[in-house]
Amino acid sequence: MSTTETVASTIKAHILAEFLPGTPSEELDNSYDLIDNGVVDSLGLLRLISWVEQRFHVPLDEVELSPDDFRSIDAIGHFVEASTRS
Amino acid sequence: MRATEQQRELRAGIQAIGPAIEAGHIARDHSGTFSETGWKLLAETGLFGLPFDEESGGLGQDLVTTLYVLEGLGESCRDGGLNFSVSTHMVSAGVPLQRFGSAGLKARYLPGICAGTTIGAHAITEPEGGSDIMRMRTTAVADGDDFILNGTKAFVSNGPIADVIVVYARTGKPENPAGLTAFLVETDSPGLTRGNPIEKMGLRTSPLCELFLDDVRVPRRNVIGSVGAGFLVLDHVMKREILCSFVINVGEMRNRLERCVEYARTRTQFGAHIGSYQSLANKIVEMKIDVETSAKWIFDTAEKLAEGEDVSIDIAITKLITSEANVRTALSAIQVFGGYGYTAEYGLEKELRNAVAGTIYSGTTEIQKQRISTLIGLHRAVKPTKA
Ligand SMILES: Cc1cc2nc3c(=O)[nH]c(=O)nc-3n(C[C@H](O)[C@H](O)[C@H](O)COP(=O)(O)OP(=O)(O)OC[C@H]3O[C@@H](n4cnc5c(N)ncnc54)[C@H](O)[C@@H]3O)c2cc1C
Repeated sequence: MSTTETVASTIKAHILAEFLPGTPSEELDNSYDLIDNGVVDSLGLLRLISWVEQRFHVPLDEVELSPDDFRSIDAIGHFVEASTRS
Repeated sequence: MRATEQQRELRAGIQAIGPAIEAGHIARDHSGTFSETGWKLLAETGLFGLPFDEESGGLGQDLVTTLYVLEGLGESCRDGGLNFSVSTHMVSAGVPLQRFGSAGLKARYLPGICAGTTIGAHAITEPEGGSDIMRMRTTAVADGDDFILNGTKAFVSNGPIADVIVVYARTGKPENPAGLTAFLVETDSPGLTRGNPIEKMGLRTSPLCELFLDDVRVPRRNVIGSVGAGFLVLDHVMKREILCSFVINVGEMRNRLERCVEYARTRTQFGAHIGSYQSLANKIVEMKIDVETSAKWIFDTAEKLAEGEDVSIDIAITKLITSEANVRTALSAIQVFGGYGYTAEYGLEKELRNAVAGTIYSGTTEIQKQRISTLIGLHRAVKPTKA
């Protein structure tokens, strides 16, 4: 597995456990819009951002923050890669 | 917290002018008058720029230092409304600009905010509701290089005296966490009108009004953060608002405690100081516990926040503990002073009226409990497992 795939699967496992308990992994597409589809609400977004910060050591104080970066598993993966690239 | 020499000096600078700033606070509370003199005196100390970058005219101090100095303001100045206006000014406009503002926005507005010549406010709450902010009705619609804002905001602290107001408006669907945007709006913008100052129970020297937005054109460059990031901007601001406004309350509680100790040691009934009676002494002991617990929560949470830890639950607990402690200690102080405590002259009944507001603004007591219950997982649905 590439680093990108590992990051994506870590994010997916977290989303399934925290926001969609009981949903089979194959039912959640990496491009599924978690925000517009109501999976992640406002408090959920804060929890998700904070988890991303701690799990991937993203220096949140130093990066631009936009909810668009947390819309889907793919978007979060891109955000993590872009923010942790030194 | 253990303060450094420099932190102590900064705080002492504010405390030295406390008596001059608060002079006449009881009469101003009665007439509901904002102290322009007090504002100017505070501006001269550089207080308003404490946490902001030096290149923007600030003093470049960290969050904990800022809180330590603001606690000193609360301890030395009994004009609670003015104190509230100070934290509102710094946090509502300065904080989001510093963290999310473009270089252009910072250059244009932060120096004035630091100097106190550009007064800031923010408008979130609407007549239909303040707790359920994700359903706010004020809209911002893109039109070329501008956005057009329409709606009504209720309860804008500093509104009547503000030069700039950070207005939160809907640019997406209701309840969608990507549906809000923060705009920096100048109060002389065509279409923006302010209602008359609203009479209220406490914090009467901090002016408050409604805000009406009727096709107000705001340039896109005045978006703070990105379009759709308003909720994240607001969350960043609210965390600092809670710490800054309630650390001032901690200072006010310290002042109140000191006055109660002094009074209980000198007021004599039945041939002994009233502080020698256990049931009265316990009231003051409980005040001491309330003050120290509040201070610990505030500084501990601030240190965690500064280190990048998730403080969502800590902030809610801090707000609950401190706001409730403020009400409790204000009520106890009236009891300690007896009949004098109940009179306007002693300024203690005013402190109780001021304190009640803290259980409502920055998210009510009930909303903080709701937040905590959600964050500890009480509202998360878990599918039942088969037996
Ligand atoms: C002194 C002062 C200054 C203020 N300054 C500002 C300002 O500068 N800018 C600004 O935008 N706003 C400001 N506000 C407004 C403040 O933020 C709101 O009043 C507050 O968020 C509550 O909203 P509301 O008044 O609409 O009450 P509502 O949201 O209507 O709530 C009414 C009651 O219902 C309870 N309630 C609501 N939802 C729930 C729930 N889910 N569970 C349990 N109980 C619930 C509340 O706790 C409250 O007791 C200020 C308020 C005060 C008092």
